[in-house]
Amino acid sequence: MSETTIISTSNLNLWYHEKLALQSVSIKIPKNKVIALIGPSGCGKSTLLRCFNRLNDLIDHVKISGEIIIDNKNIHAAGTDVVTLRKKIGMVFQKPNPFPKSIWENVAYGPKVHGVNDKSELNRIVEQSLRHAAIWDEVKDRLNDSALGLSGGQQQRLCIARTLAVEPEVILMDEPCSALDPIATAKIENLIDMLKQDYTVIIVTHNMQQAARVSDYTGFMYLGKLIECGKTVQIFEHPNEELTENYITGRFG
Amino acid sequence: MAEKFHTELQNLRQDTLEMAHQGRDMLRSAVDALIRQDPDLAESVIARKEEIHEREVRLEEHCYQLIALYQPMAKDMRAIACTLKLINASLRIGRYGKTIAKIAKEISDKPSIANLMSIPHMADLVIDMVDDAIAAYESDNLNVIEGFSARDDTIDALRHSIFREGITYMMEDPKNISRCMVARYLERCADHACKIAENVHYMEIGERIEIK
Repeated sequence: MSETTIISTSNLNLWYHEKLALQSVSIKIPKNKVIALIGPSGCGKSTLLRCFNRLNDLIDHVKISGEIIIDNKNIHAAGTDVVTLRKKIGMVFQKPNPFPKSIWENVAYGPKVHGVNDKSELNRIVEQSLRHAAIWDEVKDRLNDSALGLSGGQQQRLCIARTLAVEPEVILMDEPCSALDPIATAKIENLIDMLKQDYTVIIVTHNMQQAARVSDYTGFMYLGKLIECGKTVQIFEHPNEELTENYITGRFG
Repeated sequence: MAEKFHTELQNLRQDTLEMAHQGRDMLRSAVDALIRQDPDLAESVIARKEEIHEREVRLEEHCYQLIALYQPMAKDMRAIACTLKLINASLRIGRYGKTIAKIAKEISDKPSIANLMSIPHMADLVIDMVDDAIAAYESDNLNVIEGFSARDDTIDALRHSIFREGITYMMEDPKNISRCMVARYLERCADHACKIAENVHYMEIGERIEIK
């Protein structure tokens, strides 16, 4: 990968209690690209994703060794501000999880927490974020309605808008379409394609066709190891590793 | 579902092999009809034209259905790509067989010149190449298609030599041109064998090669 690297890990190991969940994972994530992580359940895709914004810190008995470098800084170095890190590395989850507040409040929440108080500035951020998340036209006339009244697909795009509002550099997506119907899924996929102009997107998905459709690079993980990572076209046309070949052709997993 | 897909893919490959053998047999019989001046055999080849065409349509449809229903990837995708090419090549080889059979029928009552030229020898070499290309597809074995480039060069040289030889006969009777065309058709069949070999290589390795 000749592009600028935004995230890199080297020899990353992670244990839950005694269980080794990530084993010597070394990966380089290029900037302004979409990277898909695929692999059977329990292979460590989500665990790896959650390493990038240190979300695993919230789980007891997790031990990590190895390095994760983001923007040339080791994110486990003493003095790292986890809040700043998570602002920089936004995340969207499997199930849409809007706050039980208005649409406007959902998007304005992050900037407010980070100290933006000016109402017109907040309005600008809310509109821009909703536009970037391709949902503005659907909600602009009901910004004060509850976010919980939106459809699942709209809620997920709202969650993406909420992530965008704090101007992250990287967006982590953990199975963002698994709870959505095909039309809502297509909208999210289109959105991912647009987002890569300004952001780096790392997406975990069980849907290999989705990985093939949306990503520039694909990493295949198996039993905690990164087996192979390469250009998506190459992985799905002629992977180098037999394990990858067997997984993507449905021979196991 | 993966198991169902792989069973279907296996069936598709088996049916495609049968079609490939049919194309090859049409070519072999046509050449035999030409050499033996056997109009009945030639007629039997011509009669199989529709059958191979129907197979082509049916097998292509099967390929498209598998793509639409299962979105195959990696080697599975490459196997279907290769199968589509093999279907096409088999049809073409069969059709060249039919064309040669028509020539055989037309000239079956005239003095044979086919045997005087190197056509029987050339036909054997071409059909060997077709056989090996089909065998490579059947057995996923690339060894049998090694050396295809040199074999194709021999075919090209033979076609050239037969053409020169044929000019002599054409000077005697311009109608003999159809016999020279047989060498041209055989050479095209060898090219199709090379195309099959290239695609089997892609199916197996995932890399494109060019045999020339």
